[in-house]
Amino acid sequence: MLRKRIIFTLIYDHEYFMQSRNFRLQKVGNLTWLERNYKFQEIAFSLDELIVLDATKGKKSIEMFATTISKLVNDAFIPIAAGGGIRSVEDAELLFRSGADKIVLNSILLEDPVLVEVLVKTYGSQSIVASVDYKLNNGTEEVYIHDGSVKIEMELEGYLKYIESLNVGEIYLNSIDKDGTGFGYDFITINNIKDKINLPLIIAGGAGNEKHLIDGLKLSGVSAVATANLFNFIGDGLPIARKHIINSGENIANWDVNN
Amino acid sequence: MRLVIVDYGMGNIRSIISSLNYIGVSDVAVSSNYDILKASDKLILPGVGSFGKAMNRIKERNLDAYLHEFVIDYKKPILGICLGMQLMGKSSNEDGDNDGLGFVENSVRKFETTTFKIPHVGFNQVMVTEDSRLYSGLNANPDFYFTHSYRMMGEANINPSFCDYSEKFIASFEKDNIAGVQFHPELSQRNGLNLLKNFIDKF
Repeated sequence: MLRKRIIFTLIYDHEYFMQSRNFRLQKVGNLTWLERNYKFQEIAFSLDELIVLDATKGKKSIEMFATTISKLVNDAFIPIAAGGGIRSVEDAELLFRSGADKIVLNSILLEDPVLVEVLVKTYGSQSIVASVDYKLNNGTEEVYIHDGSVKIEMELEGYLKYIESLNVGEIYLNSIDKDGTGFGYDFITINNIKDKINLPLIIAGGAGNEKHLIDGLKLSGVSAVATANLFNFIGDGLPIARKHIINSGENIANWDVNN
Repeated sequence: MRLVIVDYGMGNIRSIISSLNYIGVSDVAVSSNYDILKASDKLILPGVGSFGKAMNRIKERNLDAYLHEFVIDYKKPILGICLGMQLMGKSSNEDGDNDGLGFVENSVRKFETTTFKIPHVGFNQVMVTEDSRLYSGLNANPDFYFTHSYRMMGEANINPSFCDYSEKFIASFEKDNIAGVQFHPELSQRNGLNLLKNFIDKF
């Protein structure tokens, strides 16, 4: 049976990895810190997939970002999806050549659907993740692009339908309100939309412990649960969580986490 | 032990190299050069992309003749990964009808399903045979990462393992010095690393 997935999202800003809370970024450490102090290679053995997002505010350097991706490939033997600031076929090609297995698109989904179409044709739907950031305002689910800084006209449900029409491979749905809080996923919104879209759905924003991950994995219509929280799963938090999740009978892949 | 990844300009080989390094294979080259391929102890045929395009690039570089010499005549061990496995088959109907390298008699066809999403993407379980060398020491029904729309057909005489997705299809085969895996061991955590180690140790 096709498995559900646990995904870790690394938030990158100018060669540093960040802890994000409601999209406000706090510097944590660079790649050397991630490898030596955070023991990322060990933690990565608890993951099914890695997403790395360049959230650098202002001018991003995709070359610098790609260099970091090419080094991260040595730390994780799982598919890596990378994105943040992709504005051309060349940007996408650079990330694939640097070791990304998938690319993550956000702002161009709305601003340059022709480019999205080209990317889907060139690399295949399965290589394209559509990232959607939203927050609640007076009961309305508002969608934001450009790292959460620009609100768009369309509301969430209509926007997700629009994204489906672009033939992307899956949707990464991230709650700005829950981001980095550790209070659990935004299950109200997730439950409202999960059966209305046909694409595989990755939920993000709010996971703070293994119970949150299990709650997400239990939902039909949710393919993957993501966390970007560097602090809540520190040390052997994720290896232990993965074992508990497997023992609780959730449908995730099994391999020797320690060894 | 020198391992050479056959270079025909397609496929994400960074992850393969880093996985090999992780299991202690440090002497890894990427090449399409006759002498370098000839001097290798083992070969890996990688691949992401379409069958027809890949075969064209292989022929442009004369790699079909080189590989036949090393793999069939000299019995050099080779592991085909994903499209690389399919290329070792007899033919495929991806991009029109194309002949493969023909190391095994099996042909490659697109999934036929209206109810399952194609491509088949993600971790899925593999049902392995007891006398497999590739899966030696792995847990029963190990999970591996797949991403593909085509699969290899038939079973004759190649000790296949199977995966279930809309139908039972060939997830891997092993025959003498030749092995192929439809999934990506380099993206499949310990299971994949252990499988690569088995290819190094047991082929």
